[in-house]
Amino acid sequence: MPIPRDDGCTLTGALSVTTEIERCATIIHGPSGCAHHNFSLLHALHAARDHITTPALISTDMSEREVIFGGEHLLEEAIFEAFSRHPDIICVLSTCVAATIGDDVDALCRIPHDIPVIHVPTGGFLGGGFLSGHINALQTLSHLAKRGEGSLSVNLVGEKTLEYEVQEHYREVSRILASMGVPVHTRFVCGSSLPDIQRLGNASLNILRDPSMVPLGTTLDRELGIPFVDSFPLGMEGTIRFMEEVGAALSLDVTDAIAEEEALQREMVRAFSSLKGKRIRFSTRYAEEGVFHPGYELAEMLDLEIHEHGNPVPVPDPFPVGTHGIRRLLNRWMRGCHA
Amino acid sequence: MKQIALYGKGGIGKSTTSANLSAALSLQGLDVLQIGCDPKRDSTRMLMQGTLIPTVMDLVRKRGDPAVTLDEVVYRGFHGVRCVEAGGPEPGVGCAGRGIIATFQILEKLGALDADVVVYDVLGDVVCGGFAMPMREGYAEEVYLVTSGELMSLYAANNICKAISRLSSRARSRCRLGGVICNAKNLPREEELVAEFAEKIGSFMIQFIPRDQVVQQSELNRRTVIQFAPESGQAEVYRTFARKIMENRRLDIPTPLEMEDLEDLAYAYST
Repeated sequence: MPIPRDDGCTLTGALSVTTEIERCATIIHGPSGCAHHNFSLLHALHAARDHITTPALISTDMSEREVIFGGEHLLEEAIFEAFSRHPDIICVLSTCVAATIGDDVDALCRIPHDIPVIHVPTGGFLGGGFLSGHINALQTLSHLAKRGEGSLSVNLVGEKTLEYEVQEHYREVSRILASMGVPVHTRFVCGSSLPDIQRLGNASLNILRDPSMVPLGTTLDRELGIPFVDSFPLGMEGTIRFMEEVGAALSLDVTDAIAEEEALQREMVRAFSSLKGKRIRFSTRYAEEGVFHPGYELAEMLDLEIHEHGNPVPVPDPFPVGTHGIRRLLNRWMRGCHA
Repeated sequence: MKQIALYGKGGIGKSTTSANLSAALSLQGLDVLQIGCDPKRDSTRMLMQGTLIPTVMDLVRKRGDPAVTLDEVVYRGFHGVRCVEAGGPEPGVGCAGRGIIATFQILEKLGALDADVVVYDVLGDVVCGGFAMPMREGYAEEVYLVTSGELMSLYAANNICKAISRLSSRARSRCRLGGVICNAKNLPREEELVAEFAEKIGSFMIQFIPRDQVVQQSELNRRTVIQFAPESGQAEVYRTFARKIMENRRLDIPTPLEMEDLEDLAYAYST
């Protein structure tokens, strides 16, 4: 059976977005458990990245009483409570229970407020999992942006904010873009502010984290007139191809930048020459073969033999971004080969 | 202890039938408990001389927790019939089905479900799991369908059969169809039609209740027929019905009809 890529909780997917917005209060309309297990997960992941502020979550703490009589009054109180913390934006996420009994969350969010109060429908039982929560949240937030003048800059769209190396990936893609003279406009969304999001439309290209974000990329193209490149750079050849795509999309001459990147890649391969001739096997287990493609590319470039009794080396998924991502990965391969 | 539930289309006369049944049973010397399982909360009104009693859900809503006592939810009505109303949310919000489930849990915890006969009067249709609660294990073992000869009423009754046959197929389930009650609307050949419907679904018509002005008169006087017009023929019908219920040993797993067959049946009696 293939590994499901859209599994998990819709609410968690949406929270991976809203908790990355600065000065945002997120209300979870449902039983306290829905907030608690997500709070624990987010807090643990943030702490692992030395980020120790707790996620700004408010639970409406629904009980059986609200299930029977309706819970809209609790949501009203929670919105009131959120206002008292003076956020820039309030995101209201629904849960399975709130959606089942049909609380009209939309109607409460539509009441005019001084700051944006947005509703992301996240009743998980309605189908879809983590990914749809992630995309729905971004899609809803994108309505806060207007079409802009299209400055020479790019947005990073759909970063996986719960992955351990999210900042490393960001630094690497920024470095590659900077080498072509392209600045990052808005990270949509990772540590971003409300004004960042509202200015989303001013960039001239969106770079999607990976192809799972294509539905969002398509919407942003339609709504804000910003085309997209469908993935961060992955693998050696993939990094060069990424640079060509970005260059073509922005009508830039990137010949020199590519030559520099290729030189950097050659230098990196030389630095790992002690691996040459080693026997390896991929220790990461996947249901699908295609995931190993960048692993084969690396093995060939470093002249490694793939053998069933070889040294175990990982091929992580998501694959590390850009040339420096490969450098970090090859350090792990060195350890695997005791080289 | 005998536990029975009355189901049928909204407005067909379940509450009137239930209240008169409970009244008649109490006059047989039985300890009767009637539980209204409808957010409209008017099942026991005639037994309570026109008073709408506080519902279990009212108390839960006010208190915020299910810590209610027996005295607060059980009220004595005509001839000592004990009355309970489940109640529920305001129309259009929340989940009434969950309200019924919560009510049953509370009544169970209070040990309230104890009588010679418990009569559950359930709202129009078995719209969700909550309203099938009285049919679950440990509650009503006999379900009676209340219908007239009108197609829509038969349709609702047939639909409820689906819930009964589904629930009765479960392990340890003792829920069965006890019979069909024809609460007449004065249609031509109505008694024959409902009797044939009952037979076709694998049951029988346990009682034909004719249409009579005295029912409306009694209700306008906030009484059951049994109390308001005990000498009337209609009161005798209810008393007969109560005896038949106590004597009934026939319990069936019904086989619901297909829509077409139901229509053909109603059509055959339409001329």
